[in-house]
Amino acid sequence: MATHGDGTHKEDLKIVLKDIGQVYHLKKSADGSREFQALKDINLQVRAGEFVALVGPSGCGKSTLLDILAGLTRPSSGAVYIDGKEITGPALDRGIVLQGYALFPWRTVRRNVEFGLEIKKVPKSERRGISDHFIRLVGLEGFEEHYPHELSGGMKQRVAIARALAYDPEVLLMDEPFAAVDAQTRETLQDELLRIWDETKKTIIFVTHSIDEAVFLADRVAIFSSNPGTFREIVEVDLPRPRHNSDIRSSAEFGWVRHRIWELLQSRPSQECREGGNIVVKDAISPSATI
Amino acid sequence: MNYPLLNKTAAVIVFLALWEILPRFGLVNPMFIPPLSAVLATGLHLVENGELVTHTLVSLERAFGGLLAAMVVGFPLGLVLGGGFPRLREAVGPLMELFAQANPLILAHIIIFFLGIGQSARIFIIAWLCLWPITFSVIDGIRSADPLLLKAAGSLGLGRVGLFTRVVLPSSAPTIFTGVRLAAGYAFIMLIASEMMGASSGLGWLVAQGQENYHVTRIFAGAAVITTLAVATDGLLRLVERRVVVWKVNTE
Repeated sequence: MATHGDGTHKEDLKIVLKDIGQVYHLKKSADGSREFQALKDINLQVRAGEFVALVGPSGCGKSTLLDILAGLTRPSSGAVYIDGKEITGPALDRGIVLQGYALFPWRTVRRNVEFGLEIKKVPKSERRGISDHFIRLVGLEGFEEHYPHELSGGMKQRVAIARALAYDPEVLLMDEPFAAVDAQTRETLQDELLRIWDETKKTIIFVTHSIDEAVFLADRVAIFSSNPGTFREIVEVDLPRPRHNSDIRSSAEFGWVRHRIWELLQSRPSQECREGGNIVVKDAISPSATI
Repeated sequence: MNYPLLNKTAAVIVFLALWEILPRFGLVNPMFIPPLSAVLATGLHLVENGELVTHTLVSLERAFGGLLAAMVVGFPLGLVLGGGFPRLREAVGPLMELFAQANPLILAHIIIFFLGIGQSARIFIIAWLCLWPITFSVIDGIRSADPLLLKAAGSLGLGRVGLFTRVVLPSSAPTIFTGVRLAAGYAFIMLIASEMMGASSGLGWLVAQGQENYHVTRIFAGAAVITTLAVATDGLLRLVERRVVVWKVNTE
């Protein structure tokens, strides 16, 4: 059983995914209309304060699942519960961080961070203190009045994280947030994320391509297989915490967990690629840190 | 010495210098192209007797009246067609393309028949041409909103109205400014054309009078004022654009 940084067990369930399935009706082709099963039989229970990573090949439905969690897409079957309540749409109890930053270019760093607060109708006088706090938390003090185009990729992603945290959602959904930054910045951001997670005690669902990233960050790693997208296995990452600012990446245990996940991803039965008709998954997952 | 400023103005200065020198030394016929100083003298004379001010004000009223009318109609039209009515847009799109290409001067007599020969007919001709770049830019601007931004904002539970005012409108601002600046350019071109037929005032009329009476310096003085006004208007719009579209400043 994974434990949180302070060593306490947190058994209360935050998120429950129950029998999630997602079917897309593809446009009619020569052989009539076809259906594409993007997700099938997804079941997952996430404890409050837990960090769960989702890894898998491109097109396996990771991002679709995150959209369902965000409430942007309704699943064809099954349901998502947060604190025991079924979610029916997007809401401020979940924060989302996307790969492409998605910062509003016409807003300064501060105003980007305050976006969710405005929607939450937090009075202007309070917004400033909150945005100050989260801008400091992601290490961007001094850049409050800068516009996104004046920032580097890594800084933009920090703003996006601060924006998602500022309106105090209990769940943070992250869709390959560090995929677009260079390897070095990526490791820094991973360290930062763990530190922030430690400080804020959020429940995090983190989608990634990178096995290293998943192992470094998560309590558990859910491994996807594609066509249809479903969990092949959920691996506990029983590495000591805190892991940030540590050399855990080069430890033997780290290498062992990484290898196990790599093997699980490699052992994809070959017919899976053919089952989906013309939908062929080309990307093989490599064990290296970045794809 | 401010080198960037020199860079930007050098070509204009050389042009003005040649305008003065070439006719003076007989390299071009001053009958057709009088030297700059002669044109300036005429301009000064027109300022002194009040003619220039009167005609400029009349022309500005027409140009900005037309541009404003085009915005008043074009903004809501673009919002409706770009916003929530894709079917309607598909239906009227081709007709609008047709209208955009139709030169209102061809129909000037019919327009005058309906609106009379006064101010409103001229404003209508200007507004007609300005309407289309504005409408099309509003439609384009609205439709080109970044889906990722919409997703990020939508994940906060923002409704259609909130998404529209907080994401779609601001992200369409650069495109809309381009359309308005294009329209402003059209306004001054159409202004002169509309004032050359049957008008009794305005800078276009001043130029037309100059042509009829072989007052070549008047033609050039009128043309210079019109050009200056058009450039100044564009400069003003750029200034506003830079204040509104802060995030695109560096890409220009």
